[in-house]
Amino acid sequence: MNSNRIIMHIDMNAFFASVEQQNNPALRGKPIAVIGSAKRTIITTSSYEARAYGVKTGMTVWEAKQKCPDIILVVGDNRKYTCTSAQIMKMMLQFTPLVEVFSIDEAFLDVSGSIGVFTSAERIAYLLKAQIKHHFGIHCSIGIAPNKLLAKLASDMKKPDGLTIIRPEEASRVLERMPAKDLCGIGARTARQLALYGIKTCGELGRFPVGILRKRFGIIGERLHLMGRGIDDSPVIPIEDADEVKSVGHSMTLERDIEERQEILKFLLQLSEMVGRRARRYNVYGKTITLSIRYADFDTWTGRQETLPCHINSSEDIYRAAVDILDTLTLMQPIRLLGVRLSNLRYESNQLPLFEQERKKMLLIDAMDKVNDRYGDFSVTFGSLLDNEKAKDKGSHVISPAWRPDGIRNVDVK
Amino acid sequence: MLQRVRENIRVAVIHGPGSKIHPVWFDWRRQKHTIKEVTYHWRNMLGNAMLLHYSVTDGTALYELIYDASRQIWTLESVDAD
Repeated sequence: MNSNRIIMHIDMNAFFASVEQQNNPALRGKPIAVIGSAKRTIITTSSYEARAYGVKTGMTVWEAKQKCPDIILVVGDNRKYTCTSAQIMKMMLQFTPLVEVFSIDEAFLDVSGSIGVFTSAERIAYLLKAQIKHHFGIHCSIGIAPNKLLAKLASDMKKPDGLTIIRPEEASRVLERMPAKDLCGIGARTARQLALYGIKTCGELGRFPVGILRKRFGIIGERLHLMGRGIDDSPVIPIEDADEVKSVGHSMTLERDIEERQEILKFLLQLSEMVGRRARRYNVYGKTITLSIRYADFDTWTGRQETLPCHINSSEDIYRAAVDILDTLTLMQPIRLLGVRLSNLRYESNQLPLFEQERKKMLLIDAMDKVNDRYGDFSVTFGSLLDNEKAKDKGSHVISPAWRPDGIRNVDVK
Repeated sequence: MLQRVRENIRVAVIHGPGSKIHPVWFDWRRQKHTIKEVTYHWRNMLGNAMLLHYSVTDGTALYELIYDASRQIWTLESVDAD
């Protein structure tokens, strides 16, 4: 284990709920849950006061009210959260350029090279906590350790407003009785499979013969073995050094289940425009289109992809490819969720097409994009997308786990 | 109860130091509301326009004010009162 590294993991506590409690003083100290604006919404996150009653992320509103009848439901405002997150991530850059945004409310910092300036990692943690509290009134938990795996584990150990340090010499003692499922990367399914071998703690995982793990879990087996021993050499990767994205996609859970073809096509066109706009903004072309459908029963899922002869990024071409895929499917039930994804990407700048017709089409798309860049997405759009919903309300209403404050992963959420 | 308003309003503001904007009071429906606390502020882009959002309270209700920096227009977006 490289014990010279000093890695910090920052986790904003009950992030969306804390922002809402700060935003509205009447909510402070009360059990609140943040929900989506759609009719069929779930609990996105809840305050610690609500968690004390057993309210959890992913519960339906009905379930949350069963647990906590006095719970206050707040419709979330994603722009508030993305703006706050981006500012907090920027604050982190004062302490080190090595900041890896892990999600909207989590980040890793490699502060190994910053100790000379700031004296200690502990001091950096307290300074950061104080700044976040001062500017936004919210708390975070910080873990400090020799690697990302242990730093994340450490930040989870004390919530809210914790600071936990796992020093290299303490790692094996901390891990000995730590449930293996508490490690980031070991989900419920893997934990169940490990339990079949009698592995419940990290200590047991680290001692278990790696050959058996490799045989059962393949290449992951080796990684599980190292995780059990608290070894993780993965670097903190700042956004500018991150791998190029492999796909650009959007999906939406619909207000109500739909089965009428015209209605499905309307949503497909909207999704295609969202995908196309983002792809064109970053000069990305894709060759493979994937259409994802989740049916009304919640469980059944169809994802089918088609690889085209050439790379595309116009919304119309994406839409046509998605419709072609739709036409190969026999819909089993009404649709609850639709998704369109462009993958097999190529990064390049625009080339003027040779033929007049294609050139006109490209100039039209370019003109539409310019208007939308200036006045906001869907300010000018396809006639069939015009309905009662205002242009500014169209688009992505969910912050994806892949959201990042900059670059192609930065989706402008409503 | 959150009530969407979306009305252009008159707002008294202290500009500065630097680019800071601090709303002090606003008129709405012929009543002057003195801002006791800016509880939260954030921003977002709508196309090229930078929209600055301020959650403010006059001690009786919570208001969301939006300043469209490019058009220099203040909007009362919503009111949250008991």
